[in-house]
Amino acid sequence: MQPEVLERQLERVLLKVDKPGRYVGGEWNSVTKNWNDIDLKVALAFPDIYDLGMSNLGIMLLYNQINQQADMLAERVFSPWADMEDQMRQHNIPLYSLESKHAIRDFDLLGISLPYEQLYTNVLNLIYLAGMPIRSLERDSSYPLIIAGGHACYNPEPMHAFIDAFVIGEGEEIIVEVAQLVQRMRGASREEQLREVAKIQGMYVPRFYDVSYHDDGTIEAIMPNIEGIPQRVLKRVVTTLPKPFTKFIVPNIDTVHNRAPIEIMRGCTRGCRFCHAGMVTRPVRERPVEEVMTSIAEIVKNTGFEEISLLSLSSSDYVYVHELTQRIQDEYKEAGLTMSLPSLRIETASSELLDRIGDTRRSGFTFAPEAATERMRDIINKSVSDEQVLQTARDVYSRGWRTIKFYFMIGHPEETLEDVQAIINLCKAVLKEGRRLLGMKANVNVGVSTFIPKPHTPFQWVAQDTGDQILAKQKMLKEQIRQERGMHLRWTDLSSSNFEGFLTRGDRRMANVVERAWELGCKFDAWNDLHYHDRWLQAFADNGLEPDFYNHRTRGLDEVFPWEHIDVAVHKKFLKEDYLMSLNRETRVDCRDRCFACGILPKFTKLRQGTDDMAWECPPIKPISERGKSSERTPNVTLLN
Amino acid sequence: MSDTPMVQRLRITFGKQGGLKYTSNLDLAKVWERVLRRAQLPILYTQGFNARPRLQIAIALPLGITSECELLDVALRERIDIDGLAERIMSTSPEGLYVYDIEEVAIHGNALEREVESAEYRITFVDEVDQKDLQKRVSEMLAQDRIMKIEYNRRGKKTAYDLRPLIHDMQVNEEGQLHIHVATGTRGNVRPDMLLAELGYDDAFVHVHRTQLHIRD
Repeated sequence: MQPEVLERQLERVLLKVDKPGRYVGGEWNSVTKNWNDIDLKVALAFPDIYDLGMSNLGIMLLYNQINQQADMLAERVFSPWADMEDQMRQHNIPLYSLESKHAIRDFDLLGISLPYEQLYTNVLNLIYLAGMPIRSLERDSSYPLIIAGGHACYNPEPMHAFIDAFVIGEGEEIIVEVAQLVQRMRGASREEQLREVAKIQGMYVPRFYDVSYHDDGTIEAIMPNIEGIPQRVLKRVVTTLPKPFTKFIVPNIDTVHNRAPIEIMRGCTRGCRFCHAGMVTRPVRERPVEEVMTSIAEIVKNTGFEEISLLSLSSSDYVYVHELTQRIQDEYKEAGLTMSLPSLRIETASSELLDRIGDTRRSGFTFAPEAATERMRDIINKSVSDEQVLQTARDVYSRGWRTIKFYFMIGHPEETLEDVQAIINLCKAVLKEGRRLLGMKANVNVGVSTFIPKPHTPFQWVAQDTGDQILAKQKMLKEQIRQERGMHLRWTDLSSSNFEGFLTRGDRRMANVVERAWELGCKFDAWNDLHYHDRWLQAFADNGLEPDFYNHRTRGLDEVFPWEHIDVAVHKKFLKEDYLMSLNRETRVDCRDRCFACGILPKFTKLRQGTDDMAWECPPIKPISERGKSSERTPNVTLLN
Repeated sequence: MSDTPMVQRLRITFGKQGGLKYTSNLDLAKVWERVLRRAQLPILYTQGFNARPRLQIAIALPLGITSECELLDVALRERIDIDGLAERIMSTSPEGLYVYDIEEVAIHGNALEREVESAEYRITFVDEVDQKDLQKRVSEMLAQDRIMKIEYNRRGKKTAYDLRPLIHDMQVNEEGQLHIHVATGTRGNVRPDMLLAELGYDDAFVHVHRTQLHIRD
């Protein structure tokens, strides 16, 4: 369908759907190049609605990277909401790009962002709405090459059948390399193209790896089936954070995070054992304050956004957080610019910091203690004391903010009902502080999610809590928290955590389950009210598989994981050691204080040597000639601060 | 934030075209806020808990309708020269937003919304409609003395009102487009889609364009 025809068709349907502004593009800073003048066309998809996808920083970074190439263009596409999908089907409108309204089928490359597993069925739906066969092996090179990247892709196996190639790691550089390859190899067969893609460091092409299984369903081995590709695909990292993107697209309709994000730090040094992001995004790289300040000035000028969000996994751990927030406050207070600093750690969120980031729009602060007993905190390696929690609460309430939101998790390994009771007790103690300082206006919002063991973490071996265990813990929380005035409880539905569980640690056989679930009508699984768990169970049954095998089974220490061939540069040996330490309640300190040799430095020695000492939190690597004898130095210890 | 007084009030006549017609009035205010911030206008903010820029769009344009006559009042904390200002603002506007004119108005004038009395629209039938029939329906409606309608307010309370005096004019032009001039604003409001339904064109695929806003002198 030609863009002009498509636009005329759109006119007829858009007033029949909710929020039609999602489907028209034309926003400030969106880039529409002349289609006929450009050689290589890339469509970038976020497999959920516009409102969510527009808040995704990754998509924006790649959009910019590609559009900066003179002979390439990047355009956006999001999942249509159900009402729009119906209209598109009725009027034969194929999935199209927002910028030039070309059918996705007419692009050379389709890049799909996959930050979390709940989007899998939407990916299938996107490919289908674009008029393409769902399965990679059924698409020849007349179709766009489909690649996917993002945090969920560190275990790509459940999606291996649908995606041609996965980006493992950071996409900023690799996206352009893949696009250039597609450009160079136009006319070659898909198989030939993918053989070359598989040679790019960080690209994983599932069809070139074979998986064999033991009789009990566990994996025997994962082996390449062609020459010249690595046995394990090492993730891609950028040595220093690329200069922040400052020309964000400014939506014409309201979106979830309607603000400009700046990544101030990538990675986290804390080593919480449950945390997937903390393990897969190593090494920690910080952005210099000056660069952040220059970027903010450009963002304000380029976008007009009224809020800047300083992103990182643990913002208050950013070494220069005080200097940065002070400078932002000094320079922008009068201009009506506010800043938000998500992911504050209790022990580093000082009262001065709260003062600076607490603006008039904010009603309170959010912290994530995750657990409430010393024993539990040791096991998960997130040590915060009750007193620190209470002191932070006093700091917040005494400044007049009424609401503190806490995130806890239940279902940690070895957790008992006493550990859950401690969550309740701690929240009550916090509320008591609030009442003392603010009276009945004080609130505590308690979000209790369910722990899901993640690949590439020290807890990848453990069994997820069973339904009965979780329900008992949730019952306890509901009984004691919901009846308390000033306390509000939110929890995760059992079905949605089971769902995330089997997808996150799924193997290749899960692909059939995903496809079957989609055939049964599953999509928008990330939307609680649209997640139909019974259909997923049906899809498991139809494929002769058991969700419990994935969720509630403790893995053997030497089990080959479905993601064994994906190398995040953190040694399995390190993770195993950390897992065994957790069983003994042994903890590890922040790795800024001491390097535990997780594997990043040996894997990325060359990169580290070519990088400024202060750019990574990992200790600099000295040439061998400058190293002392092993007895003269403290092994693996570097104090940076 | 300090208690800064308004020192200048500007009235911007703007157009809303293309894909921007799918942006609601509430979202358009946000779009404007950012356009003006990019243009580095010294906008005045409201006092209080939730500081908002002091912008006021004359009257909501229903979703899906384009326009060439929208009005926006902007309160400023510093005086600025309006020479060349329209170009400056245009250069920071997204696709579909057009600035036609900027004038300075009295600081203590009435709220813009209360000033609007009526609006004119041009309705284009994209699919062919029987011209004679259209003409006939228009004439018949105009010939009526009263057109009693029932309306429900936000609380679900029923009120009856007469639509006829709110219709100032309706004409079909040579190209078969329907021009309407109807009451708009806080003292009686007729939406084009409602009038089309009244004429029996509920399902017609139309382009509606607001051509003029009439405000009290």
